Amino acid sequence: MRATTADREQSAIYTYLICLAAWAIPGAGHLLLGRVQKGVTFLVTLTLMFAFGLWLQGRLFPIELSQPLVALAALADLGIGIPFFIARAMGAGAGRVVALTYEYGNAFLIVAGLMNMLVVLDAFDIAQGRK
Amino acid sequence: MTSHAGLMVVFAFFVSVVFGTLMRDEPREQFRFGARLFAAFVVGGIALGWLLYPLPL
Repeated sequence: MRATTADREQSAIYTYLICLAAWAIPGAGHLLLGRVQKGVTFLVTLTLMFAFGLWLQGRLFPIELSQPLVALAALADLGIGIPFFIARAMGAGAGRVVALTYEYGNAFLIVAGLMNMLVVLDAFDIAQGRK
Repeated sequence: MTSHAGLMVVFAFFVSVVFGTLMRDEPREQFRFGARLFAAFVVGGIALGWLLYPLPL
């Protein structure tokens, strides 16, 4: 009985570690689970989409609780994981409101983050044995 | 490239690749689903653009 509980705890920790990796590096969860083709596709596509959003002068929104829509956009941006922090550290993602492509850039950045959240959920399902 | 239509096509491409890969397991099925999704995005976007063309009246 004890062994079963320990196994379950270990399995839960493994699942959450997979999810953490999947969030931090797009596609890493699938790569760790042996789904190499899917993992590489997510890694390349989501990273490119995020970089494209930065190139279009989109903004990486700060978490401002006084402005709920900005805070939600920031949460979506954070969905991409480590690339968000790398971009911030490099001074990218300041966003130029007067740029013609500003809103397009925001759409690319936000959707890349949201799609990575879906990828994390997919990795969770695979780790749980549902897929 | 940075025109509205050009960016819509690029956006549709990225989203179709991710959803095609996410929703199907076999590479052939992924490609077919992604291509259908891409076509739906682009054709739908152009159709919606023309529908909204007369607005504001």
